[in-house]
Amino acid sequence: MMDEKTRDELLRLFQTKLNHAMRFYLETCSRCGVCTEACHVYASMPHVKYIAAYRAEIVRRIYKRYFKGQGKVWSSLGESKELTDMALEELYEAAYSCTGCRRCMVFCPFGIDTQMIMSIAKLLLVGANAAPEILTMLADMSIEKGKSIDLFKAGFVEGIKNLEAQVVKKWRMEAGEAAIPIDVEGADLLYVALAGAHSIIPAAAVFNAAGENWTLSFFEAVNFGAFVGDPSRTALILDRIINEANRLKVKEVCICECGTAFRVMKQLSGKQPFKVTAITETHARYIREGRIKIDKSKFQGPVTYHDPCQIARNGGVIDEPRYILEHLTDDFRDMTSDVRYNWCCGGGGGLVALGDETLDFRMKSSKVKADQVKETGAKILATACENCHTQLSNLNDHYKLGVDVQFLSSMIADALVQE
Amino acid sequence: MYTASYIVLVPMVYFAFAVFFVGTGVRLFKLFRKPKQVATLQIFPEKRPKWLWALYDTFLMPSVRKHSPVLWLFLMLFHASLLLLIIGHLELIQEFKIFQIIQHEIFLGKGFIGLILCVALLFFLFRRFISPYRDLSVPEDYYLLILLFLTMLFGSEMDWARRWYDYTELGVEDYRMYLSSLLHLKPIMPSLTGHSFMLVLHVFFANLFLIFFPFSKIMHSFLSLPMNKLRRG
Repeated sequence: MMDEKTRDELLRLFQTKLNHAMRFYLETCSRCGVCTEACHVYASMPHVKYIAAYRAEIVRRIYKRYFKGQGKVWSSLGESKELTDMALEELYEAAYSCTGCRRCMVFCPFGIDTQMIMSIAKLLLVGANAAPEILTMLADMSIEKGKSIDLFKAGFVEGIKNLEAQVVKKWRMEAGEAAIPIDVEGADLLYVALAGAHSIIPAAAVFNAAGENWTLSFFEAVNFGAFVGDPSRTALILDRIINEANRLKVKEVCICECGTAFRVMKQLSGKQPFKVTAITETHARYIREGRIKIDKSKFQGPVTYHDPCQIARNGGVIDEPRYILEHLTDDFRDMTSDVRYNWCCGGGGGLVALGDETLDFRMKSSKVKADQVKETGAKILATACENCHTQLSNLNDHYKLGVDVQFLSSMIADALVQE
Repeated sequence: MYTASYIVLVPMVYFAFAVFFVGTGVRLFKLFRKPKQVATLQIFPEKRPKWLWALYDTFLMPSVRKHSPVLWLFLMLFHASLLLLIIGHLELIQEFKIFQIIQHEIFLGKGFIGLILCVALLFFLFRRFISPYRDLSVPEDYYLLILLFLTMLFGSEMDWARRWYDYTELGVEDYRMYLSSLLHLKPIMPSLTGHSFMLVLHVFFANLFLIFFPFSKIMHSFLSLPMNKLRRG
């Protein structure tokens, strides 16, 4: 049973989310149901609870109860609802079955952003200590690393040194040059990778091939604060990178293949003296400027590309991966004629980070994505997001798609031509 | 009976309009003074000019046309007819030369505008009896549609009675005298004979609708454009 104090505290958190866009979204839905077919979860498992408008209504009913006169005077009119433990359970199911892909926003005649409404649900869960523990823990670890970077530095630098030989295998360096430069003040580009060699080695090889004056960030790009829906944690994790970029006086912050990291950095970092790019944009630029050459014969068979929602529909990086793929293959098969409508892979919103706990749901809810991939007849499925890559690999195994799931940046690194 | 009709046709009209204007104004003021969203809510790819595309999304509803063409047809018919209906009511207050660019008899549409609106409202209503729309709907959705339907039905009946069934007790001049008198704060009651009960019921439901308006989802009439602009960036 939720006590009065907890409820008041949660409603205070709710109130903090009520900016004018959020108010528009909460006030306006006509429940026309045009968004019904928008969600990949509903398209794969047609239960009403997976319709975007239904998810949003779970939050909206609480909003009506506490923030609208209508809910106080005539609560049955809009079926407004009290904030109780049971309501929190409903909020959990709504929020953590939504990947935040915003495909429903394309369908909605008003453009209601369900992801934004779900951010209220996630924040209430954080406030009630009911958010997924692992996401909260990962967010806190990222924040802790930002606070006491000196403790982590030596270990990080040593780990990176061990990767350099593998970078050189992909792109030979002049003697004395660092294959993975770290903490270089005055570098042009700060590369923010994920924790893992796969995110660093290919990127480093391409930067070196392009002759980029770059440096590697001490911090991992992924923002678990955004996954868990906690604005203060999101800001703290983001600030670590902003501070590092400003300290090193870089001109560009290049975010690795991570959709959420890119969108958070690009859209939430505010006005800064550096520009923010996705690594796909940077790679397309290198090809366009002739700074790298890639071998088109490296990959055999048809190739398709999955647009990560946060990078394409929500981030605007749409033409660049296609430009790169034109240089990687003669048989590129686009899986969609309109990127706005491309299906989500089903792994966003922290679902992949929750691991096996969500695996069954992720597989069932993404059948439409698997079908979409199958229809292309592609042998290679490229993407530019860590979460999407993991989810698509899981789908590949589960639905026996028979594709080779590849990071776009790895494909470029593997196809580099050294003259 | 006269007293009840008087209450509906005079004080309740003033009250309804007061609630409508003050309520809508206050609601919009409260909504727009909230802090703005920091990050963009845009959907890509971007098309320019953004405001023109936002207008296109708002008034032509391309997403509905694409995903639910039958609903779109009824929505377009409904909204276009609503616009003609508003023009018709303005012409009932006084003549506007600009509206007579295309010569027409008052009320616009030879009785068919009301018919279209009633049919569209019935479509919207019965659509909500079918799953999944039934599961998404809340009582407000049904009440509003029923209220609008009753308003339109009795309003249209007045037009049909006069135009199609030769009820001549109340005509355009009577309505014009009544509406102008309300506007000039010198209310004159229309003659309560013949089909005047339709007028009383029409005004009664219209009053209820106006009172309900600022507190309902019909506020989308004002919010749809700014929301579509947010999506266009």
